[in-house]
This record gives sequence, C-alpha cells and structure tokens, in this order.
Amino acid sequence: MRKVLVVLMVLVLAVVLFSNEKVLRVLMPIGGGYTIEDQEVIAKEFEKENPGVKIEMEFVGWGELWNKIITSIGAGAAPDVMYIGSRWIPALAEMGAIIPLDEYVSPEKRALYYDTVWDTVTYNGKIWGIVRAMSTKVFIYNKKLFEENNVKVPTTWDELLEAAKKIYNPNEGIYGIAMAGKKFVSTVTQFQQYLYANDGRIVDENGEVVINNENGVEALNFYVELSKYAQPGILEWKREDLIKLFETGKVGMYIDHVHNALKAIEKGVDVGFFLIPGGPSSTKPYSTVIVTDSIAISSQCKEKELAIKFMEYMTSFEKQAEWDLKLGFVPPMIKEKELPEFQKWYWKPYIEVIKYGYPEAVNIKDWEGVQEVVLEAIHSVLLGVADAQSALDQAARIIEILQK
Amino acid sequence: MIKKRSIPYILIIPLVVSFALFMFYPLYKVFENSFYEASFLNPFMRQFVGFENYKWLFNFKLFNPKWSYFMTALGRSLLWVGISVFLKIILGLGGSLLLNSKYLSGSKIYRTLVVVPWAIPWAMGAMMWAWTLNSQFGIVNSFLLKLNIINSPISFFSTPLTAFLSTIFVDVWAGLPFVIIMLLSGLQNISESLYEAATIDGAGDFVKFFKITLPILKPVVLTVSLLSLVWTFNSFDIIWILTRGGPLNSTETLPVAIYNVSFLMTRFGGIGKASAMTIAQVLLVTFISLIYIKILGKGAES
Repeated sequence: MRKVLVVLMVLVLAVVLFSNEKVLRVLMPIGGGYTIEDQEVIAKEFEKENPGVKIEMEFVGWGELWNKIITSIGAGAAPDVMYIGSRWIPALAEMGAIIPLDEYVSPEKRALYYDTVWDTVTYNGKIWGIVRAMSTKVFIYNKKLFEENNVKVPTTWDELLEAAKKIYNPNEGIYGIAMAGKKFVSTVTQFQQYLYANDGRIVDENGEVVINNENGVEALNFYVELSKYAQPGILEWKREDLIKLFETGKVGMYIDHVHNALKAIEKGVDVGFFLIPGGPSSTKPYSTVIVTDSIAISSQCKEKELAIKFMEYMTSFEKQAEWDLKLGFVPPMIKEKELPEFQKWYWKPYIEVIKYGYPEAVNIKDWEGVQEVVLEAIHSVLLGVADAQSALDQAARIIEILQK
Repeated sequence: MIKKRSIPYILIIPLVVSFALFMFYPLYKVFENSFYEASFLNPFMRQFVGFENYKWLFNFKLFNPKWSYFMTALGRSLLWVGISVFLKIILGLGGSLLLNSKYLSGSKIYRTLVVVPWAIPWAMGAMMWAWTLNSQFGIVNSFLLKLNIINSPISFFSTPLTAFLSTIFVDVWAGLPFVIIMLLSGLQNISESLYEAATIDGAGDFVKFFKITLPILKPVVLTVSLLSLVWTFNSFDIIWILTRGGPLNSTETLPVAIYNVSFLMTRFGGIGKASAMTIAQVLLVTFISLIYIKILGKGAES
C-alpha cells in the first residue's frame, strides 16, 4: 500500500514538474449581464486552439473589482490579465501596475475602433488597455406620455425642462423625468451627461480642473432644476434601478442603455429615443458620455506573449461582435455597425451619438477619489446645503490635490 | 506516554494556533501598518512615519471644515451605535418577555419566525429593506399612504436624517433576533417558584419584573448588549448596501470611513491611515467594553 502511494506521489510530482502547461490568470467581472458561463466559454475555446495553455479565470462582482485589483497588486499576486473599468487606467498606470500596449497594437487593429474609443484607454500619450465593452447613452422616452401632454421631442435644454414640467403630475404619480442621486458611480455619469452636454468637463484636455467653470455650474444648476420634475427623493435612486420606474409607464423620459429600453418595450411601453441635447453653452447639438471597459495586462505578468495573444483573441472582430450582440453593448468597432442586428431602429441613436461623445474619465488621475468628491458636490446642492458654484469650487479644490 | 494533565493543553492547541493566525497576526499587521505611510496606489512605497498617521486622525479635514474626517465619522458612529444598541436591548427585552408569556398561544411559531431576520444574510436583508422602504415601490409607503398618515411618499434614504434613522432601523431589525433569543433563554432559566412566592407576598407585575426578572437577567443583558455593541460598531454591509455612507456622508460611520480611506480616498489616506483609524476603533471599543463591564458587572454582584 505504502509503495503504491510513493509511486503515485512521484508520478504527480513528475507531471507537475515536467509538464510545460502555461497558466494564465485572468480576472473577470460578474454581474450586470456578465455571467461565469459566458466568459468560461471563451477560456475553453482559447485553450482548445492553444494546447498546453490553461486559462484560470477568477471572477469578482463589479462592486469589488477595484478593491480586488489594487489589493492583489499590492500583495504581488496580480492576475496576468485584468478586466477593468477604463476610468481606472490613469491610477493603474501611475502605480506601474499595468503595461503600455502601444507596441502590440497594429495599425490594422487601431483602425478597427473609433478614435474616441482609443481616447478612453489612453493616458500620457500611451495605450493601456484594449476596449472590450462600450456604452453610450441617449434619452429613452415614453411616447404615450409625450403625446398626451402635447410635448415635442426636446432639442434644447429649455425644451427638455419644458417637457419634464408638462408631463410632471405628482398627484397621479407621473413624473417628467427619472433621475439618479444615490452615492454611486452611475450618478456621477448621469451628471456628466449634462456637464458634457454643456461643454463642461471635470478635467480638461490639458489636465486642468475645470468642473467649477461657468459650464459646470450651469450644468449642476440644470440638474437640480430638472430634479424638481423627477420622482421625489432622487438621492435614493441609482441609474441602474430607474428602469423599474420607467417600465411602469409613469415616467416621461430618462437617460439609459439600449438594453434597458428593450426591457421597457417588452413591458409594453411605447418607447422612443432622442439624443441628449447640447446645453446653452455648448458648441455641439448633442452629447453623450463614452464609457468603456477594457482588458489590461499586469506588469507582474510573466507570460506576456501569451497574455497578449489571449487579449487579441478576446478582442478580435468576430469575438467582439459576438460579445456585443450577446450582452447588448454599443459596438466599439466601426465595422460592427454593419451587422444586421445593429441596423435595428433602437440601435441607431446609440451608434449615431458616438461621434458626439467624450470619454468618461480622460485625464482623471484618481477616479475613485474624484467620484466621491463630485458626489459630495451633487448631494450638497440637491439637499440645499450649498449653491452650485461653492459646491463645485470645493470639489475643484480637492480634485486639484487628487490630480497632483 | 502523554501525561493526563497535559491533554487539555494539547487539545487547546488548534484553537490557540488558529486564533493567533487569524486574529492576532492580522491585528498585529494592522497595528504595524498604522506606523507606516503606505497606500494601495503606491504598493512599493512603505515608509516608517511614527505617530504621523495618528496625528492625521485629528488634523485631516475633508468636507467638514470644523471637525477632522476621523472625528466626524467617530462622532456619527457613536450616535449610530448608541441608538441602535439601545433599541435592540429595549425591543429585545420586550420581545423576549412577550415570547416567554404563558398567555401567548402559538409561541413556538413566533419563536421560529423571530429567527428569520437573523437567518437571512445581512446583505440580502439590506437589499430587501432598500426596496421595502423605497418611496415608489415600497410597501411601507404604500401602507402609510393608504392609512392617510402621509400625503406623499417618504424617501427614507434621500435626506440625511431619515437615512441615518432608516439605516439604524434596518440594523436593529437584523440584530434583534439574537438579543431576543439570548434573553429568552435567560428568562426561561428563572424559576417559576420565585414568581409564585412573590404572588403570595402580594407583589404586582411591575414589582416582579423589577425585583425578580431584571436582576436575574442582568448578566445575560450585560453579555448580550456587550456583544451587540461590538457587532454594531463593526456593522458595515447594511450601511454600504443601503446608502454607501450617503447622502452627504450622513451615514458614514467609522467602518465605512475606514473603507473609504483604504480604497476610495487613497490619495489622502491609504492603508497606513486606515490602519490607524482601525486601531483607534479597536482601542475605543475595548475601552467602552471595559467600562461597561466594570459598571454593570458591579451592579450584578450586589
């Protein structure tokens, strides 16, 4: 008996020592449409095409992704390939946690994507991630409520406010617009929609903090003004939950993803779309915030070649299109829009608006910190503790420190 | 041959080892980190700074110009924990007396039901309450509206005061079953003959409660409230899910602030400063517990 055991152990040891199976650790998110099954399929397919390679996928919920990344880097045990929100790129690049990918991006690969998509993953003139998922947002509106109240599709902020006012009928439980205010990342993005639409920025192209300029103050004031015709207590709502309200048919309009619009259509709401109109200080007719997630490679990765290969595999045209269609994401590759699915009427506004878009976090060095600061400003104005100018001045003061 | 006297020590080794490994080592690490400047954003930099991080606790001001970030969170935490534990004990005492009553039929059903909040994972319980208290879909608002108590729905999590109270309410809901069950077991240990003797002596219900029930129950109340105090102080998930410390930091208790300093406000904070906050919290909770044991313990002896 003992002999058999010894032989077995020696065998196991030999297999472990002499097998040249290469292992790639990949960190992937779950939740928000991302399932373990969908993502493991990709790993299995890659393993099949590359014998001797093992893809070890680790999954973590979106809410814990940032913590997981920075703690594992700190512990010297970072996954080789990491799925990240592109807004984290400046912080991760500054940390030296991820590697620049410029040398691996061929001109052909570059030409596949919209320029603005590359902007979301560029920091200090270098590319730090390959985009895996992208979103743009437009207004989704309830055609029936618009018709009943004799409201035209808004093309300016004045018309937008007017539309919300006309539809707003709290006694009947009907609200002009649905808005978000909960302490959460998507609230910042919702505010950014108006900020960008008014040619405002948190940090401009030169890295200067400009959130408290005229455009910014105007945008925040408008956000607060608009919230008077929204569902009460917007501070308890995050954007992800607003669909539940819109589905009931009691909300005039709100800004969201296409897949949520489809949910409302399924529930029988007569849905229309319009692009987010430019504000009074804007030079552009429309606007949207471009949010992307990307795949980055850890600087602790020992199998760089393999990591690059896997990254390219995941983001090849076929795989990318498959993924976007499966999850209902806006296609980041230009050619994807020719696919039949993206010809459908509800996709049109989301693809059309790309050319008016600006990235969520370009030049923002510490997104998580900035997020907290911007939320504080939004809350203090919504709660009437401060006026927009002083709240944003305070925010700008702190963001300037964060940008150093 | 192992001597019989050494057997207990050998048996206790696994506990001691695991305790050291999972309790003392992490705590020691936190203690050590509190003297270093270290941050997740800069993992390769680690610099000894002495008591700088502790000074930072009292110097660093963020949104509140009067009080330091740490002190604001600490003050808020003390209030939050104080109210929550007080409610848990009062309601727990009432609930356990009710369940122990001879006149309550079907008390076994209630006893089972009362455990439910405890059996539900806290995160899920918090999610449930987020929707139960929601202004548009919540059953609470629906009831209040139907009963004409309010004219328009209340958004419990959208103003600082209501959010503060609502998170306490949910925390009490989650922590109450433990208190009730522990107190109930204490109540059941009180001999019926004591009450019978008191009845013969002509004592009323109030006298019985204050002269018999409460004194005998005191050690249990002491233990339960102490445990509850420590747990409530560390309560994080409920607040995090319901409000993330908002609106306007009104529910940012010490554990939430420590999380923010470690992961979100990394440039101002970092692990070193978060560790200093943690050590301060540990010392404070230990200190409060010791005083508590001393004061209430004395009462129990007399």
